[in-house]
Amino acid sequence: MRIIKAIFIKQAKDMFKNPMVLVMFIIFPVVALMMTKLVTVEDLPPNMFVTMMAAIFAGMGLISSATGVIAEDIEQKSLRFLMIAGVKPYQYLFGTIGFYLLAGAVASVLFALIGDFTGTETLKFLAVMISGTAASILLGAAIGLLSKNQKTATSLSMPVAMIVGFTPMIATFNETVEKAAGVLYTQQINVIVNDFSAGLWKPLLVIACNIAVFIVIFVAAYKKKGIKLS
Amino acid sequence: MIHMNGIVKRFGEQTVLSGVTFEVKEREIFGLLGPSGAGKTTIINILTKQLNADGGSHGTGADMLETGLMLDADGLYGRLNCLDNLNLFADVYGIPRSKSLEALKNVGLTDAAKKAVNELSNGMRQRLSLARAILHEPKVLFLDEPTSGLDPATAKGIHTLILGLRDNGATVFLTTHNMDEAIKLCDHIGLLHKGKIIEEGVPADICERHNSFKTVPDLEAVFINLTGVELE
Repeated sequence: MRIIKAIFIKQAKDMFKNPMVLVMFIIFPVVALMMTKLVTVEDLPPNMFVTMMAAIFAGMGLISSATGVIAEDIEQKSLRFLMIAGVKPYQYLFGTIGFYLLAGAVASVLFALIGDFTGTETLKFLAVMISGTAASILLGAAIGLLSKNQKTATSLSMPVAMIVGFTPMIATFNETVEKAAGVLYTQQINVIVNDFSAGLWKPLLVIACNIAVFIVIFVAAYKKKGIKLS
Repeated sequence: MIHMNGIVKRFGEQTVLSGVTFEVKEREIFGLLGPSGAGKTTIINILTKQLNADGGSHGTGADMLETGLMLDADGLYGRLNCLDNLNLFADVYGIPRSKSLEALKNVGLTDAAKKAVNELSNGMRQRLSLARAILHEPKVLFLDEPTSGLDPATAKGIHTLILGLRDNGATVFLTTHNMDEAIKLCDHIGLLHKGKIIEEGVPADICERHNSFKTVPDLEAVFINLTGVELE
C-alpha cells in the first residue's frame, strides 16, 4: 500500500505540472459550462452540452491522458528505475490508474454541478461517469503498454479516443449512429442524462461489458509487452 | 561479492559478451574500462537483472533493494523538482524523506532542491541521478559512466563522493572510458574489448606488467598495446 500511495502522489504532482494532461481535466467542464450558459437555441435536448462534453472527456480526455502517462514513463526509463527500486507492475498500475480514476471522478462532479442535477440524478450520473472513467483508463493503459514511445502512443490512442469520445455527439443527431453507439460506454452518459427516470442497470451493464472487453485487451497487452526488467 | 563467470550475451546473431569472468571484492571500487560498444553497459544491465545472460553465472551479493544504480538514461521525472524526485524513491524504499535532503546535500544540490529537473544542467542532472542512487545507502552501487560529459570541477566532486561511499562501506562498480578517472578512482579494473576481459588487476600493476609506467601509470598505452585501438 505504501508504494501504491507513493506512485499515486507522484502522479498527482506530475499532473499539476503537466499542462497537456491538466488541460484535459479542465477544458471539457469549462466548455460545457460556457456552452450551457451561452447557447440559447430552443428545442435542444436537456443538458446536451454537459452530456456531449462529459462523453468526450470520458472517452478522449482520459484515454489520451492514461496512454500518454504510461508511454512517457516507459520511454523515459522512469519506470525501469521504479522497478529496480522494488516497485511491482501491479503497484505501479494501481497507483497510476487509481489517481486518474479519482481525477476523473472530480471532473465528473464538476459536470454534475454544471448540469444542475438533483441528488438522485447526480448519483446516477456519477455511477455512469466513474465506471466509464475506469473503462477509458483501462483502454488507455493498454494502449500505453503497447506503445514504443509517446509518438506511437499518440498515433494509436487518438483515433480510438476520437471514436469513443465523439460517437455520442454524432448519435445525438443521427438515429443509425445512435443505435450502433448503444454498445459504447460513452453513449451511456447520453442514455442516462436523457432519461434519468430510466433504470441504471442497463447502462451499467453495457459499461461492465466494455470494461470486460478492455480488461481482456489490457491483459493481452500486458502479456505481450508487460512491464518488466528483462 | 560481485562476480561474473563465463557470461555470454547475444543480440540476434551478434555475440556482445563472450565468456566474461571477473570478481569484485567487498568495499572496493571496480572500474570496467573499454571503448563505446565494448559491452560495458550490457554487463551492468545483466548484473542489475535488466537483461538475461545467455550463458554463465553472475551475482552481486546484494538484493535489488540494497543496490543503487546510475545509468546513462537517468529516468528522472522532468516536471517534478529534485526533492520530489527523491521523495518518491524515499517513499518507495520506506525510508524517511529527510534522507532526500541529505542525499541532495551530499551531491551539492541543496540549493536546487525546489528546481524542476527539466531546468537543470547536464551536470546537475547527473548529480541528482547519483543522489537517487545513494539515497537508500546501498551496499552495492553501479555507475554507468558517472562523469561522462561533465566539466572537470563537477567530475572531481563526483570522484570525491564515490571515494567517500567506498570508505563508508559501499562496493562500487563503475564503467568508464576515461583512463585517468580509472587510475584516480579504482582499486581494481578490468579492460573490456569486443566483449572479453583482456586484462584485469590493480591499475598500477597492470601498467607495470605492460611497461607503461613511465612517470605516471598510463592505462591508455596499455589498452592500445593490447588491442591496437584507441579508447576515444
